[in-house]
Amino acid sequence: MSENRHFTTRRSFITGMGFGAVGLYGVWAAYGAAPLPFSTHHEGLHDGHGEPAEAVGHEGMVHGARLGMTPETFRREHAAFVDKFKRPDGSVEPGPQAAIAHDMSNHLMMGDDTATHDMSDHGMGPHEMSHMSHDSGTDQPVDLYLLAFMWGYNPDTLRLRTGVRYRLRMMADDITHGASLQLGTASRIIRLRPDIVSEQIITFTKPGNVLIYCTVYCGPGHDRMQGKIIVTGSEPGGQS
Amino acid sequence: MSDTMPSLTDRIAALPGCDKTLARVLFGSALLALLLGLGFGWLTALGRAGVTGFEPLLAARLLTLHGVTVFFYWLYLAQAALLLVLAGAEQNCGGLALRPLAWVGCVLMLAGFAVSEISSIIGTPLLYDGGPALGRDDPAAVGWFSLGYLLLGAGLAVSSVSVIATVLSRPNSGTSEPLSAVGFALFAWAGFLIVSAIASVNAFLPSVLWALGLGAFPANQPTEWHILFHNLHYLPLMATVVVWYVLVQALTGVSSMHGSRFSKIVFASYLLFVPPTSLYHMFLEPNLAEGVRVVGSLLSLFVAVPTVMAFLIIVSSLEAHGRSHSSSGGFSWVRALPWKNPVMSAIACSALNLALGMTFAFVLIQEKVAPLLSDTFFVPGYFHFFAVGTVSLSFLAAMMVVLPALTGTLPWRPSLLNRMPALISVGLLIFGAAGIAAGFVGVPRRTFDISYGGDAPALWHTLMSAVGIGGTVFAIGLTVLVIGVARSLFQKIGDVTNQQPEVSWGNTPARASAAAWVGPLGVLVMVLAMAVFTVVAFELMNALPLIVIGGSGGHSH
Repeated sequence: MSENRHFTTRRSFITGMGFGAVGLYGVWAAYGAAPLPFSTHHEGLHDGHGEPAEAVGHEGMVHGARLGMTPETFRREHAAFVDKFKRPDGSVEPGPQAAIAHDMSNHLMMGDDTATHDMSDHGMGPHEMSHMSHDSGTDQPVDLYLLAFMWGYNPDTLRLRTGVRYRLRMMADDITHGASLQLGTASRIIRLRPDIVSEQIITFTKPGNVLIYCTVYCGPGHDRMQGKIIVTGSEPGGQS
Repeated sequence: MSDTMPSLTDRIAALPGCDKTLARVLFGSALLALLLGLGFGWLTALGRAGVTGFEPLLAARLLTLHGVTVFFYWLYLAQAALLLVLAGAEQNCGGLALRPLAWVGCVLMLAGFAVSEISSIIGTPLLYDGGPALGRDDPAAVGWFSLGYLLLGAGLAVSSVSVIATVLSRPNSGTSEPLSAVGFALFAWAGFLIVSAIASVNAFLPSVLWALGLGAFPANQPTEWHILFHNLHYLPLMATVVVWYVLVQALTGVSSMHGSRFSKIVFASYLLFVPPTSLYHMFLEPNLAEGVRVVGSLLSLFVAVPTVMAFLIIVSSLEAHGRSHSSSGGFSWVRALPWKNPVMSAIACSALNLALGMTFAFVLIQEKVAPLLSDTFFVPGYFHFFAVGTVSLSFLAAMMVVLPALTGTLPWRPSLLNRMPALISVGLLIFGAAGIAAGFVGVPRRTFDISYGGDAPALWHTLMSAVGIGGTVFAIGLTVLVIGVARSLFQKIGDVTNQQPEVSWGNTPARASAAAWVGPLGVLVMVLAMAVFTVVAFELMNALPLIVIGGSGGHSH
């Protein structure tokens, strides 16, 4: 009897239409946001302006996130970061030497004293090492640390440059917060859980002022929880 | 369901007096919850629009009260009431089995309602998820708040046992099948409620124990909440399609042309498709592995399967019967539907709102766009299409049929009520369009003062003003509708059952050759809209002046 029916009233047709939304997979795949069974490689989504997100294969990294940094280490590194790069106006402007400082601290944290050996074997002194990443063009990301707390961010103002790769490490100090970056047409949202270190490699492609604001309700001071990133041109002293 | 059975309204009118009293108490409490929650929500919308300013603590309290009262007590008291009445009506005059349990359930739910409202008014505002981290310095507030939800869960579970006993204990004698499609749907719905009640124990009992000093701080509450919350999304949707199924039959006489077994499979498939699709709520969690995000997105593509299939069963049966009874071709059968009946208007508007809600929900299930939209006003922007435009309208439509039959009254001003679903939908369109646009440009979800000292884009304020206008429009329509429905509870006019316009298409079977295009075309348009707005989201992501790699987290303590 079902066979005599118009096809739009058959159970098989209704069942098939029920799965209609699965067709959205095609759009996802077109943007590299879903694995294609016939694809021989995974193409990354353009996760931001310009270049597609690269497939990250660094040791210990999962899709760009380095696993294993403890909250205690984060707090220590964060304090050192703010202390080292704080300017007289209270803002923080990290230099490229932050990258090598980070690598050194990681090696030392892991009990790996070969880092200093490797470099001294090559005849490098402390001064040369502090500029290695900048001069050698190894494209090591510059480390940034951002601590969210009730109700603010530390540092509350960061001065960064376009075209520089930054390794942004973030953590909530007390309860869950957000650290959303308002980038003009839209925002990029990051949710921060207490004592869980989040990490992203970011590169700004345009100068401007970026509002940082909390997107997770965190108490009566939530509305005033904000910070700022001042992004200038890639040349030192570039105008925003 | 057998054609020989009396109509739904006759069966409800024939329920035993004690069952009617129980139903009136539950329906009345549900409507009270809706009015209260609507008031809190309207104030919240005005605050978000910048029309009026609230102290931060009061703003958070309003938000908490709105969510608790509407999402939990309106939606779940209404479900309990509908379940019990429909189960009782399934038995054709027999009434409820295990009646004392149903009454115990009612008392527990109302106690939960009182505890939740009072603790939300006087305690630290915890938002509707009752997150203990916000109340770390106020354990009593966390304890009382969580106790309210536990009482609600216990009441729902106990009431559901009565519902299951009712539909199983005295199978309707008019058919050879042990359980009708509606009876099976009620069974599955009640079972889903019991499972969710157990999930609520996992989510909220540790908070009560911590508040009493009998347990550790419930650090795992957010995860348990996500599991419960996912069920709480789909229970009202499942209830909605069951309500449509029942109401279309009551209004037009048309039952499924695809057989009750097919309907049963679809209703049961909620239990198959919903639980594995919960990961999309957690895409912003920093410690969720990338592989889990990808799998979560893929599974989420299937979350709408039962709802879309149930919609197609109902619409295709209606259309095939309508075409068989219509002398002129095309879509003239649509004009022949009983549009002067507010129940019909409410069902039609709720179906359109469901399509809008699903369209934008499917933008959010893609993990790559979660950093653009999650935790923004996009979320309330789209889910009000579900919560208000779909579920609340459908439940109110059901009450427009059930309450007059239950109390022997005439519906109040049907011509006025008939305009309300459209008015509510227009308000929702303004609210939703502005709210979704606000989400796309980054307006945070739960922040009242979005000026950020002048650093926020000016567009944010414009969009949130439109949200306030839309919220006011649908609040007016909903208030009139609730008052109209509630009058049937109290204003006894005589022994009169529902005399609103209906059609009788179910008396003769549909022509085999009759087509049913409305449902598939609707689904096609919806999927295309999903694709368009997903493309918009991806393009917005790509246009950001920021290249980002990674997004997961690391070590936690």
